[in-house]
Amino acid sequence: MNSQILKMMGSFVLLILAQVLLFNQINIFGSVNPMLYLFFLVMYPFDQNQTFYIFIGFVLGFFIDFLSQTGGAHTIASLSVSYLRPIIMKYSFGLTSELPKSILTDPRKTNNFLFLLIFISIHHLIYFAIAYFSADAFLLIIKNSLLTMIFSLILILLISSLYRVK
Amino acid sequence: MQRILNVFVKYRNSILYLFLLVFSLIFLKANSNFHQLKLEKISLFFSSSIYSFSNSINRYFHLEKENQRLLKENEVLKSIQIKSNTPFLYSEGYNNKTNFPFDVQKVNIIKNSFQSQYNYIIIDKGAASGIKIEMGVISNNGIIGLVQAVTDNYASVISILNQDMKINVRFKNRTTFGSLIWKGKMPKKFSVEDVVSTSSIKKGDTIVTGGMSSYFPYGIPLGVVTNLENNIQNGYYKIDAELFENPAELYKAYVIENRDFKEINSLMKNIKQ
Repeated sequence: MNSQILKMMGSFVLLILAQVLLFNQINIFGSVNPMLYLFFLVMYPFDQNQTFYIFIGFVLGFFIDFLSQTGGAHTIASLSVSYLRPIIMKYSFGLTSELPKSILTDPRKTNNFLFLLIFISIHHLIYFAIAYFSADAFLLIIKNSLLTMIFSLILILLISSLYRVK
Repeated sequence: MQRILNVFVKYRNSILYLFLLVFSLIFLKANSNFHQLKLEKISLFFSSSIYSFSNSINRYFHLEKENQRLLKENEVLKSIQIKSNTPFLYSEGYNNKTNFPFDVQKVNIIKNSFQSQYNYIIIDKGAASGIKIEMGVISNNGIIGLVQAVTDNYASVISILNQDMKINVRFKNRTTFGSLIWKGKMPKKFSVEDVVSTSSIKKGDTIVTGGMSSYFPYGIPLGVVTNLENNIQNGYYKIDAELFENPAELYKAYVIENRDFKEINSLMKNIKQ
């Protein structure tokens, strides 16, 4: 149990650093930066305390914002998405079915993918909506969210498969 | 207390979420000028709509007061308005007080009849407020009648919707005089009599008070000419007129007092004898 906490803390720090130092500088097509740090919120065990999880989502976003100077968009997006995670989970795995312990160990591939898709799209929509913060930029928000979503999704799927191999 | 705590525990996630959301919004506002501006716009939108809502309620409760203030203002404006017509009659010494002996006082109409051929109106001021017999009563756009009887606090007025009333009128910007008489059917339909057929009058001419009687000053607008027939046999026009304002639908009026009424009246009496 202790080693798991250490592992989580390690990946928390590692993901923040990777995001800030590496993935925020990628600029695919000029502006698209995949958001890898969401992987932490995705892989966080489902059976843990939800209240603490919301707090972690907030702290994670806060650190990313703090280190990449983006105001508060990451904080609000990751906070909201971690608050909504139980609902997203119910929608993607079915209301009555047994909820998985963690997305990394669950064998239901389609449901996993659906969960990731909804989770990331909600996060990105909130993030870009707050970053542009204007009704005029509606199309720009949608375009940027879709593009960034594709790359974030690919990256997170890749990393989660790496974790699974371990 | 236990229940409050239970609710708190039950919704702890949502409460925490909202708390942190507010915190991050403050963080966002503090960090970015752009977002600060935008958030202030949003808060302005909400606060302004709330304030305009409360303001409209407030205004509603102040309507009575506002109404009184406007009526008082109207009273003043009315006296200026009827005075402004007089340079036509007294071109010299406009500001000389003796040239314009009329005072204005506002009253409420508390009873107004229009079904009969001889209608009367009751107003809510009487001798205590200085109302006397044979004062003129006017409205915003026309005249209402003449004071007929006065008690301490009330007065009765012969309405112009009364077939006994003849009002001295003239046509605006012309020198022709006539008498305005109610036809006795519709409250706005009147006829003008005693206009000789040599005078130049057109359909659509405005009828104003003539200033020849001591009751009304010159120039209060009354109505327009709607129909004109030249009666060759007796040499007079047959004129139909329509009033600007329906005298049966009024609630507020102004009593005008001619300060020189007694003086003029005594002269009239001498002539009759």
